[in-house]
Amino acid sequence: MQCLPPASTSKPSCRLLVGTSGYSYAEWVSAGFYPPQTPSTRMLSFYARRFPIVELNYTWYQMPRADALERLCARSPADFYFTAKLTRRLTHEIDFDRWRTAAAEYRRGIAPLQQAGKLKAVLVQLPPFFDRRPQNRRYLALLLDALEGLPLAVEFRHASWAAERVFAELERRRTTLVCVDEPALPGLFPQLAVVTNPDLFYVRFHGRNAAGWRSGDMQKQFDYDYHDAELCRWAQGPIAEMAARARSGVIFFNNHVRAQAPKNARRLMKHLASGKIA
Amino acid sequence: MERTIIHLDVADFAAAVECLLDRRLAGRPLIIAPGGAARAVVYDMNETAFQCGVRKGMAVRRALRRCPDARLRPPRMERYEQAMQALLQPALACSPRVECGDADGHLFVDVTGTGRLLGPAMDVAWRLERRIRADLGFEPAWSVASSKLMAKVATRLVKPRGECIVGAGEEAAFLAPLPLRLLPGIENRDLAMLDALNLAFVRQAASLSREQLGALFGSRAALVHDVLRGIDPSPVRPAGSASPTVTAHWHFGNDSNDAVVVESALYALAEQAGWQLRRQRLAARRLRITIDYSDGRRRTGHATAPGATSDDRSLFEIACRALQRVWTRRVRIRHLGFYCERLVFPTAQLDLFAGRHYPNRKHYRLSAAVDRIRERFGRQAIDVGRVLALKDLPAAGQCAVPLLPGVPA
Repeated sequence: MQCLPPASTSKPSCRLLVGTSGYSYAEWVSAGFYPPQTPSTRMLSFYARRFPIVELNYTWYQMPRADALERLCARSPADFYFTAKLTRRLTHEIDFDRWRTAAAEYRRGIAPLQQAGKLKAVLVQLPPFFDRRPQNRRYLALLLDALEGLPLAVEFRHASWAAERVFAELERRRTTLVCVDEPALPGLFPQLAVVTNPDLFYVRFHGRNAAGWRSGDMQKQFDYDYHDAELCRWAQGPIAEMAARARSGVIFFNNHVRAQAPKNARRLMKHLASGKIA
Repeated sequence: MERTIIHLDVADFAAAVECLLDRRLAGRPLIIAPGGAARAVVYDMNETAFQCGVRKGMAVRRALRRCPDARLRPPRMERYEQAMQALLQPALACSPRVECGDADGHLFVDVTGTGRLLGPAMDVAWRLERRIRADLGFEPAWSVASSKLMAKVATRLVKPRGECIVGAGEEAAFLAPLPLRLLPGIENRDLAMLDALNLAFVRQAASLSREQLGALFGSRAALVHDVLRGIDPSPVRPAGSASPTVTAHWHFGNDSNDAVVVESALYALAEQAGWQLRRQRLAARRLRITIDYSDGRRRTGHATAPGATSDDRSLFEIACRALQRVWTRRVRIRHLGFYCERLVFPTAQLDLFAGRHYPNRKHYRLSAAVDRIRERFGRQAIDVGRVLALKDLPAAGQCAVPLLPGVPA
């Protein structure tokens, strides 16, 4: 299936980078994305031949270490880019007495990517229980202040943040609002093609597995294979709209189960190319 | 095949268990050591006591001088073993290959090949940590690496809590800047030898060739060479390979090398283990005895029973054989461990020809009669003369009571 050119005209200078959330999955070998017997050490070089960018997941689980990221930079091609998730200690498991220390530690850890010019964004993914109450609004403002200077992108999971005042504040800060594709479940942040940062828009495809979304099991939550029609609608619709209003955009597929993410990412790249969006 | 190993490590495990059982101890300095003993040494301590300068193996008097506010609790191995079992349960849901330490809060989980089913290993590790924290109250440090060695080094770096992921292929680079003392397998004498050569960090020692290592370490050179590069092919033992055991422990309040006292303690342990076996209608085919000496060294010995047994006297006789094999030093003993292994359900059928098994049956009936008396009139109602030597000693034996929430007896 080929997409028709979008109705809107995108900025000719908008550069789109498509990739996946994480690249080092052993199951992608058995699923056929990586050649048989590919060791973890060879995965990045193989991945980088197919995609120009990757979203680093492990920085959510573990505070990034500068030495490890320096080595990662050195192993990646010159025109390959990264985004990195913010540590869970600042989003999901916040210690309100020590979070500033964690923020400083994160900045130090991520510095090699930024210094090398390879860091497109730091993804501040907030949990579903982080709703828009005054305490959380205050914390988020302080957090964004503490991380000032980093290219920040905020992903909300709670619907209460879908408000004009929130978007206006993000715009004032030139912070990207992440646009998400996820199951249409009550309480989740809606899919909105809002551009709050003219430098960058950020899209994440989580899959639409409504049954597995709240299972607590990653392998069910992100088990979804996008149809061509769904990807085509995205390419012609929200992505084209956002590309018209931003200088660059990054798009990631998080449905990693059975290597559906790289497969869908490649399909979307084709749709974007055929629609002359990328 | 590339392996993925998760290591969970509850720091100061004995102290952590005691703090869980008695919330009043939380945040206060705590020392685990046999009470009422003049020469007792520290078995474990919590982080607060550690910060005051208390160390494992330190004389209790010295420890209390360094940390006078510390609470003192006697070691209770049975509780630590129960806690280990509780730690084991969530890990077994992730992999059949789970190896746990000897009531020390260490757990290795081999999640190689489980990615399709469970997701990325770091996510599995994080979920395990969360579940252990929620269900048991422990906050283990965790790591993910390609071998047990690397996983252990990684948790050592972040203890008492935290996480560390070492990517496959990153081992040598990860180890290079670390001090040599962090590497398991590099012993004190190795450190002294390397220190004499002014080598304190892994990258320095790793620059030595095999021949140079051979001159230093002789037959251990190959091992040291691999350790310095993070190479460790040792497998994670499957959980099923460690058969269930019945255990009993004896802590000498005053460390002792008196043969009469030690044998009396061994008999008391045989009684305790035998009672547990009989209560579960089990019998042991093999016994393992561990000796912890005052200077912290541990020796382990085994002895096999001619037939599965659960009567006190037979257990004692087998245990004596195991003890003789390992009690080779004159140093005082701090702790005796008594492990009944290869447990079976004994046959109910009598021997057709009453012969060599007849005395065992007689002993069994005697032990069962003693059990009935004790159940009816209390533990102190009847004793064998052999354990009277222990009556005046400050010591603690084994009790088998479920003490952690959610842990079966």
